[in-house]
Amino acid sequence: MKLWRMVAAGAVLALPVWAHHSFGAEYDVNKPITLTGVITKIEWTNPHIHFYLDVKDKDGKVVNWKLEGFPPNVLYRTGWKREGTIKPGDTVTITGWQARDGGNWGHSRQVTFADGKKLFSGPPAGTGDGGNRPAVDAP
Amino acid sequence: MKTLLLIACLLPLSLPSQTGNGVPRGADGKPDFTGVWQAASNRRGTWEEANGTGIGGFVAGPREPAPYQPWAAKKVLESFNRRGIDDPVAACLPPGVPRVHTVGLFPMQIVQTPQTIVMLYEYLNAFRTIAINAKHPDVLEPSFMGDSVGHWESDTFVVDITGFNDKTWLTATGTFHSEALHVTERYTRTDPDTIQYEATMDDPKVLTKPWIFRTTIMRRDGTRLREYVCEENNVDRARYEELLKDESVFRRK
Repeated sequence: MKLWRMVAAGAVLALPVWAHHSFGAEYDVNKPITLTGVITKIEWTNPHIHFYLDVKDKDGKVVNWKLEGFPPNVLYRTGWKREGTIKPGDTVTITGWQARDGGNWGHSRQVTFADGKKLFSGPPAGTGDGGNRPAVDAP
Repeated sequence: MKTLLLIACLLPLSLPSQTGNGVPRGADGKPDFTGVWQAASNRRGTWEEANGTGIGGFVAGPREPAPYQPWAAKKVLESFNRRGIDDPVAACLPPGVPRVHTVGLFPMQIVQTPQTIVMLYEYLNAFRTIAINAKHPDVLEPSFMGDSVGHWESDTFVVDITGFNDKTWLTATGTFHSEALHVTERYTRTDPDTIQYEATMDDPKVLTKPWIFRTTIMRRDGTRLREYVCEENNVDRARYEELLKDESVFRRK
């Protein structure tokens, strides 16, 4: 076991791939968001789910946000059920990161339900962004 | 005393199919990899135990730079700086090998007979059939997952993969390769929960020397693979087309 660890330390190690696409091209880890609002629609589809949320902005105007989440299979194994866990009309609070273009869409990380229960709905920050450094040294 | 009796009763059942490290063995005496597994993880237990507080468990450690030829390293770096917007899997294409084993989000299943080992990946519905003690076909159409043949070196299952197309990445963002790619994988089940996995990638057209990727692959009893049809509602291509109109929006500074 010790030998394995020593060998592993000198070699390329897995940087887990969290999704099927580049998180970093679409979303900005430097734009964290926390949104409380009412669910208006859920797309429980592959490769990723999306939910839509009516959120009141600071002027009281309702804005509909689109938020991406894990694939259904991953959510299923994280404690979600297609029917019942989240449905239109539910008031929830969602944390995540906003899209790079500054629009009303983003990628979710966690959903807090009205009863206080929390479930992960997306990957941690920075994953799927190509990591913090490239696979090669700068040539 | 009762416990001792129980152990004595169980021993004859377990001894013929296991060795000292508890690794089950098939009828041919070789380690049996049959079961559901999670790559890119180092946590023991069920899927829920290993991933319950989120997904993952793999701690990224130090790594050596990929030994790309200078012209190719520039291309890898460019892809990294463009945040992998050209990632083939974003178009729902199969991930290739060993990249499929960098994915901790989805389980994989191994089905083993003395003649063939089949690897089923939930991720992008990919699969591999690995004929044991067989030769590659004389004529190979380039493919995403390549053509795999395997043999045993003592208790390690060694897989030779060739016949790749050039449309997948090796591991991380931008790690492209040519059709000359040759991968040698080594699977060693070191205890009932753990496969030590090593893939040596050789591609003389883009690398200066072979590059090695390692991970552990962890047993996940009780998990069943599900369908993952990426094409169902893949909105990324349309989003990327939009983003590519102004690369300054996403490009690393």
